[in-house]
Amino acid sequence: MGRASDEGLKRAHFKEVRLPVLLLVPQLGILLLFFFIPSLRALTQAFLLSDPFGNTVQFAGLQNFTELLASESYRNSIQVTVVFTLAQNALTLASALVLAFASDRIIRGKGLYKAIILLPYAIAPVIAGILWAFLFNPAVGPLAQLLHRAGIAWDPNRSGTDAMVLVVLAASWKHICYNYIFLLAGLLAIPSSLLEAAAVDGAKPLRRFFTIGLPLLGPTLFFLAVMNFVYGFFEVFAIIDAVTKGGPAGATNVLVYKVFTDGFVNLDLGSSAAQSVILMAFALLMTLLQFRYVERNVNYDV
Amino acid sequence: MNQGDIVMKLARRTLALGAAALLALNALPAAAAEPVQVQWWHAMSGVLGERVDELTKKFNASQQKYVVVATYKGNYDELINGTIAAYRAKRAPQLVQIYERGFMTMLLSDATLPVQDLLTQRNYQVDWNDFVRPVAGFYSYKGKLMAMPFNSSSPILWYNKTHFEKAGFAKPGETWQELEKQLYTIKQKGISACGSVLAGDYHWSLIENYSAINDLPYATKANGYKGLDTEFVYNKTLVVQQVARVKKWIDDGVMEIAGQGLSPEQLFTSGKCSTYFASTAAHSGIERNARIDWSATYLPWEQGKTPKNSTIGGAALWVLKGGKPAEYDGAAAFLAYLAKPETQVWWHKVTGYVPLTDKAYQMAKIEGYYKDHPTREIAILQLGRGTPTDNSLGFHFGNFTQTMFAQREEFDAMVAGKKTPQAAMDAAVARGNDVLRQYEKLNKGKY
Repeated sequence: MGRASDEGLKRAHFKEVRLPVLLLVPQLGILLLFFFIPSLRALTQAFLLSDPFGNTVQFAGLQNFTELLASESYRNSIQVTVVFTLAQNALTLASALVLAFASDRIIRGKGLYKAIILLPYAIAPVIAGILWAFLFNPAVGPLAQLLHRAGIAWDPNRSGTDAMVLVVLAASWKHICYNYIFLLAGLLAIPSSLLEAAAVDGAKPLRRFFTIGLPLLGPTLFFLAVMNFVYGFFEVFAIIDAVTKGGPAGATNVLVYKVFTDGFVNLDLGSSAAQSVILMAFALLMTLLQFRYVERNVNYDV
Repeated sequence: MNQGDIVMKLARRTLALGAAALLALNALPAAAAEPVQVQWWHAMSGVLGERVDELTKKFNASQQKYVVVATYKGNYDELINGTIAAYRAKRAPQLVQIYERGFMTMLLSDATLPVQDLLTQRNYQVDWNDFVRPVAGFYSYKGKLMAMPFNSSSPILWYNKTHFEKAGFAKPGETWQELEKQLYTIKQKGISACGSVLAGDYHWSLIENYSAINDLPYATKANGYKGLDTEFVYNKTLVVQQVARVKKWIDDGVMEIAGQGLSPEQLFTSGKCSTYFASTAAHSGIERNARIDWSATYLPWEQGKTPKNSTIGGAALWVLKGGKPAEYDGAAAFLAYLAKPETQVWWHKVTGYVPLTDKAYQMAKIEGYYKDHPTREIAILQLGRGTPTDNSLGFHFGNFTQTMFAQREEFDAMVAGKKTPQAAMDAAVARGNDVLRQYEKLNKGKY
């Protein structure tokens, strides 16, 4: 797949060196300031034991890393992160898919339907988090009361599982619309001739979806899965902070939230830096694995 | 335009510039007479933030030489992070408000100037021995006050008078055993939905202050006062029984956890829960919001014990290195102003924090302030109860926040039923000791 586009790129190269460099400078400058320098500092900090004010610094070697790997709470955090991202990914993709498929079948009020689905994306994560926390608060939340009346002992303040369910719900709710837009576009791009032919052959909508729609959505689904992983790893800080603060007993303490609490609340900069290095490596690895193994099963040809 | 004109124009412009420069030079002495600005970063939001602004306004109006500029920098965590960043960038303010748990971090940071030295060098007459003992004790190192106590509080027991009266009790019992019976009675009679509500800072009121009041060792080396090689030992004291009791209350529906999205104080002020173990600083909020008949009393103690003093929470003002001498003169003037009994009484009345000196307390008492506001005196009397022991003077732990978080996590695990109270406290102590050892390693020989 790559060959033809590579040649295309080569053919379109600039004859002069100065202009492209000049055009690249602003972007590289931003990357340097906001990515490379901070990353480098995190990397060096990860090998130091230091007082937060920076007046006492000792070289710690790999101590920050070995301590992390030996710590039960860090291993718990890894486990929590994996469960959280997988659950969030599955729930988001499945709901977005259903919604996208359904919007194809809706005739009246299509605009309104889409608007309602897209709304959560416009809500600030903290607000969304507080909203969910309040709705499901065992003492005053209306939805929690419903659950209690149904005989479910719902209490995210004490039960780690309930807390996890709550943050997965909140995080997915916030991200469904992002998935929805891409899936809707993907569905619209499916040639209608294929679907019509199947319809003529007597395939029902569900059948058409599973045998034609879903396989053709492969590239979109793959892209979204990667994006959802990135979202689950890095962008759920505000929601976790507003809904559970990583509790109870670390049950929702995902890696990115732990980096924050250890670094900015506990002021343990060395450990926090080591964690962010590991997190970066972990995210890279996950993405690579996905490209290596999942992408094999994705068919880009329509 | 010919050349002559241009030359003329240039000459005129140069003259004008020169004149302006001369004027500016003349203006210099005037600029020097301008008041010196002292930057103060704080974490007081809402009503408390307004009080801080009033305070600086009062100080600025009281003299002409200095202007204290107070800036709100977010909550305590955000503030200490902002301070660290500013210090590293060499743009630190002269005064900064840091929570009590940050004492050791600030003390051994090499970034601060001891407050007592700063004021003594400038000949301010402050009666250092007049400071309330647990307050001065917390912020002192080798007998010297290192930071100026600013907003100090202590936890007390808030209660709903109507609930207690309905259950046939005049007031909450003095000991945990009596109080427990009362709360269970209130629950059984269906007077309230919950006997108590767990405060956000329960580790402070129900564990740390519990240890101090009952004179139990929290850690070796006089709770860290006598060395960095201190080790937590609260897993071997009545604390285990105390957290087991709290868990039992929660299990039996006698105590409620407010959780995220809801403030525990609301559950008390709305009349849903009958008691609330929280800071005396909650006065401003409770006085404003409570639609119930409330009162407050001392924190309970264990049956058969003679209760000791409680310890403080809140924050102190630290002086950071890196400023100009004139700025430190201003900072010292402001801190001396803060220490004045009149300022103390005013601050005490408008915020609910305790007065820091005995003189200030006596002044408020003579005024008859506590006749109208009896609950405002509880924290002061509780802080001044008996002579502080090694167990009740306060806590000097490096990375105290981090050890506290470990403790809270283990407490949560216990409440969730994942660990027994003993196992949870053992784990909290073990994790806390790891943190203390790391701090000791980094700061060896500095304390």
